[in-house]
Amino acid sequence: MYFRSKVIFRLAATLAMLYLSLSSLAQRTQIRGFVDVLSTLQDGKVSFGFGEQDLFITSELNDRISFLGESVFKFTPTTPTEFSVSVERVIIKYNYIGNHNLLIGKHHTPLNYWNDTYHHGRVFFPTIDRPLLFAANIIPLHTVGVDLQGHDLGAVKFGYDFMVGNGLGSNEVSDNDKFKSVTAAIHIKPVDKLRLGLSYYYDVISKGADVHGKVINWQVDQQLLSGSIAYFGRKFEFLAESTLGFDHTDTTGTKQTSASYIYAGYKIHEKFIPYVRFDYLQYQDGEIYFTKNNTTSIVGGIRFQINYLAVVKLEYQHMKADIEGNVDKFTAQFAIGF
Amino acid sequence: MRTCQPFIRRFTGKSLLLGLLLSIGLIARSQDGTLTVIGNSKGVPSEMKMADLRSVFMAERQRWNDGTKVIIAMIKSTTPLGKVVSKRIYSMSGDEVRGFWAGISFAGKFESPVTFNTVSELESYVAQNPGTIAILDKPTESAEVKTILIDGKKTF
Repeated sequence: MYFRSKVIFRLAATLAMLYLSLSSLAQRTQIRGFVDVLSTLQDGKVSFGFGEQDLFITSELNDRISFLGESVFKFTPTTPTEFSVSVERVIIKYNYIGNHNLLIGKHHTPLNYWNDTYHHGRVFFPTIDRPLLFAANIIPLHTVGVDLQGHDLGAVKFGYDFMVGNGLGSNEVSDNDKFKSVTAAIHIKPVDKLRLGLSYYYDVISKGADVHGKVINWQVDQQLLSGSIAYFGRKFEFLAESTLGFDHTDTTGTKQTSASYIYAGYKIHEKFIPYVRFDYLQYQDGEIYFTKNNTTSIVGGIRFQINYLAVVKLEYQHMKADIEGNVDKFTAQFAIGF
Repeated sequence: MRTCQPFIRRFTGKSLLLGLLLSIGLIARSQDGTLTVIGNSKGVPSEMKMADLRSVFMAERQRWNDGTKVIIAMIKSTTPLGKVVSKRIYSMSGDEVRGFWAGISFAGKFESPVTFNTVSELESYVAQNPGTIAILDKPTESAEVKTILIDGKKTF
């Protein structure tokens, strides 16, 4: 009996070792990083600085399960060291059939093309910074939750995301209330290089929730409706996205916010792309969730692609906003991947 | 003799022009390169349409029909063959192809292809890994991988 147990134990140990060795053989891990350095000229003053340092890891655990992690080290003046580490994405992906996946973790909410495509790698951004609707917190950048995702289905290459998450006001490990955020996004790619997308987001932000450092004093029912057109062809680049926000409270009723941008670039050479971007943010009077700051901005610049992991951008921006007034700024950025 | 000279001159001129055009055609052909698609015996179909091949190499397909995971193996896009593949399959330069894959991988949509310096390494990897597909510049002599017909042809 003792002998048989010993044999079974050894067999199990051998199988476990074999399994582990096979697993480690199958695993493929890649680590990459992204960073950018900047110089700005504003109000007659030149400043130098650097942006987020982004650490990006992907790993294939087996032929169905993979991991993606993205952590950012960034300047945060409110911390004692003036730096903080932010976990931007932690996603475990399970490919359950064909082009259909289950993703669990912290995601960039798939509400629009930019947020679902460029993430934190400035080297991939067509302009130096994100469109202004990001800085204005119009769309929830992150969602911790579960996403059912499909892509490139059928002749029009249909794709979808259906995500349920903790929602605004919650943190990385728990929800602050019983409400869940819901994101439903669809897109098609009817012709090569063209992607058309639509999305809907719903969340209930509880009274007392802390969202982007601001305490919300009323319960807000939020709906966001977004549409996007993206075309990145051999010569011409075009990206237009628009989000309509509807914030409802019992006291103010429903207030509407619209946030849009249009980007266009033209490759005069494989490495040189002059571009323009126009941003527009408009808030309805009485809006209490977003910080009301009607803004228009025009950006003109040129992108020089040294190679696919080294890009220099020179940009001029003129912005007119309720809070900041008129802003004129020149920025040079050198973004790299490593 | 005097009457023949213009004819000979004209004939020689036409021959030269024809030869020049043929040479240009051949040079262009060799720059475009003849390509062959190979695959592991498991998962990868024996025949594909060109549009489907492009779709696979554009990261639009995660699984083959039998459920095997699609794995893309590529010769490095800095090599002469890699440049031809970049041009013929992606209509991009080698650097643009590397940028395309960096973007896809960064967005979490698809894992980057496994890349190799030599055709023999590439063939060996395809032979050992189910679901792997790759493109070569000549018909394969390896018995361990299969040649995939593209639009009914062994080369394109």
